[in-house]
Amino acid sequence: MRKIVGSFVVLLILLWSITAWSKVYIDINAPGFQKYPIAITDFKNIGTKEDKKKLSVWFAYQLSRHLKLTGFFNTINPGAFLEDPEQAGITIDGINFSDWSSIGADFLIKGGFNNDGKELSVEFRIFDVVEGRLIVGKRYQDRFTKRKIMVLKFVNEILLALTGEKGVFDTKIAFVGKDRDVSEIYTIDFDGANLIKITRLESLTMLPRWSPDVGKIFFTSYLNGNPDSYIMNLSTRRVKELTSFTGLNLASSWSSDGSKLLLALSKDGNEEIYVKDIKKDSLRRLTRNPSIDVSPTWSPDGKKIAFVSNRSGSPQIFTMDSNGKGISRLTYEGSYNTSPNWSPRGNRIAYEGMTNGRFQIFSIDEDGGNLMQLTFEGGGGEAPSWSPGGMYLAFISTIGGKKKICIINSNGLNLRVLGAPGGSYALDSPSWSSRLNLY
Amino acid sequence: MKRNIWMIGSLAIICSFMFIFAAGCAKTPVVKEEVALQEAAAPQKEIALQEAESVTSAVETAPAKVGEVQDQGMTEKALWEALLAEASIFKDRDIYFSFDRYDLNSDARQNLGRLADWLLIHPEFEVTIEGHCDERGTTEYNLALGERRAGAAKAYIINLGVDIGKVSTISYGEELPLDPGHDEASWSKNRRDHFLVYPSRK
Repeated sequence: MRKIVGSFVVLLILLWSITAWSKVYIDINAPGFQKYPIAITDFKNIGTKEDKKKLSVWFAYQLSRHLKLTGFFNTINPGAFLEDPEQAGITIDGINFSDWSSIGADFLIKGGFNNDGKELSVEFRIFDVVEGRLIVGKRYQDRFTKRKIMVLKFVNEILLALTGEKGVFDTKIAFVGKDRDVSEIYTIDFDGANLIKITRLESLTMLPRWSPDVGKIFFTSYLNGNPDSYIMNLSTRRVKELTSFTGLNLASSWSSDGSKLLLALSKDGNEEIYVKDIKKDSLRRLTRNPSIDVSPTWSPDGKKIAFVSNRSGSPQIFTMDSNGKGISRLTYEGSYNTSPNWSPRGNRIAYEGMTNGRFQIFSIDEDGGNLMQLTFEGGGGEAPSWSPGGMYLAFISTIGGKKKICIINSNGLNLRVLGAPGGSYALDSPSWSSRLNLY
Repeated sequence: MKRNIWMIGSLAIICSFMFIFAAGCAKTPVVKEEVALQEAAAPQKEIALQEAESVTSAVETAPAKVGEVQDQGMTEKALWEALLAEASIFKDRDIYFSFDRYDLNSDARQNLGRLADWLLIHPEFEVTIEGHCDERGTTEYNLALGERRAGAAKAYIINLGVDIGKVSTISYGEELPLDPGHDEASWSKNRRDHFLVYPSRK
């Protein structure tokens, strides 16, 4: 309890803040967007005490590591820097921008710290090298142990200024890890740290879906022999049965206001889409068609639903209003398109589609325009899930014969594999959480 | 050593009893059908093997007190075990499907015909049909597809007269592949319905 109170009380004191720009520099969704070259100098000790903790290097390293993790930056090797660190300052007056533009940097980060043993005070500034201007500067003051939070706060400031969206360092990805006949749900942080086995049901457990407050997970399990749906409270680890109708009870999507759940149930004779109101404990059927209707996903405003149906002969993505009316077919390319996931940004839907005998990730406007293929690798792509802000997609790809979780930028570039349980585990069904708003 | 003699003795008694039973019952039309079913179901070699399996199974599952084998209750038990072994044959009679399809091909219909025949003459048994898919495609769509595959087999045997209350279905989608490989040779084995025939719980 003391810890919790402490972290609230001492949190970061913001002394000043200058935001010089409201302009969004980077259209991260543009197909051609690559990465911006950024230079980060070692931080200056602006205090009187010796830098025994090597904070000078630590801050530069942590900024570099987390900016690279965003997938939007390449850091320039400090070996190429021209300026004399002894002479140079950390404010705009002490910077010769031509030293940075000539080595190809678009952005420059400088900072200074004062660690008096009790408290740590740190200044961060990011400059636009081309225009020779300060973009954003922040000073944080807190205990030494909070230094990582300071770094992530400033990275968020950078992302907000450059892309219009905060970062996703405080998000988790839930997924299924399967070993032979047993599968369980795991969660892992965006940066690949903090892998946790969430369920220990010793059954087939699948389809994890986060509650918007990141406190619960909605899923399907064969715990009692039938694929029934459950909700787990992550703080108590208590599992509560939600539906156990005859046939399929498939957990599909949690509305962004937290009040409703979408499910695919086959209790009325064939697979149809239903909405469950949690408070009213009411269940309403949305589709009426003898074909397969599964995989519903909410639009972020809760007004529309995308889902999979084979009513036209092969599995395709359809959209409808949240009351089940106004059904319209979204995908026409290819004969197998499934697993839709609606971007939190609003207008795009990601899905997996078969092309040349392999599944790949695609995204498309909700009105069917601007179809983009996002993965081309031999390992293919399945089960896409958007990050908050719609900047990234997590999905499953087969790498070295094993199904693993990969992350790409929304334009398909910068593929990376997320660390996850090793051994014989096959991973499936990644689901990206909302932000915990820690930074 | 003494135990071995008992074992051999009991095996001989069970075998001879089964022979008498088979010969005696062959006159009744019910078992005639059953014999015809088995002949149609598999080539001669396989039948011989299955009979051997049934006997082995009956012996293996006989209780330790083999001395009581001459007791009438015991022989019925052995017969029951033999029938259970026969029911378990359907575990090896999967039917197969094309990618993203759940229509029954002629092999599948033939297999289902035999299953239906067997269930009709053994009303004390029921069946669970498991629908499975290959690993391609989504978890959810494959769960639905597996359900359709199991449902197609269920509808077929119900049409042949099997009591709807004796047929249950469950879909495992792509979750329990028979063959762990990642090519068509494996996938074709995994797109299947699997049958579990067991005594009705009363």
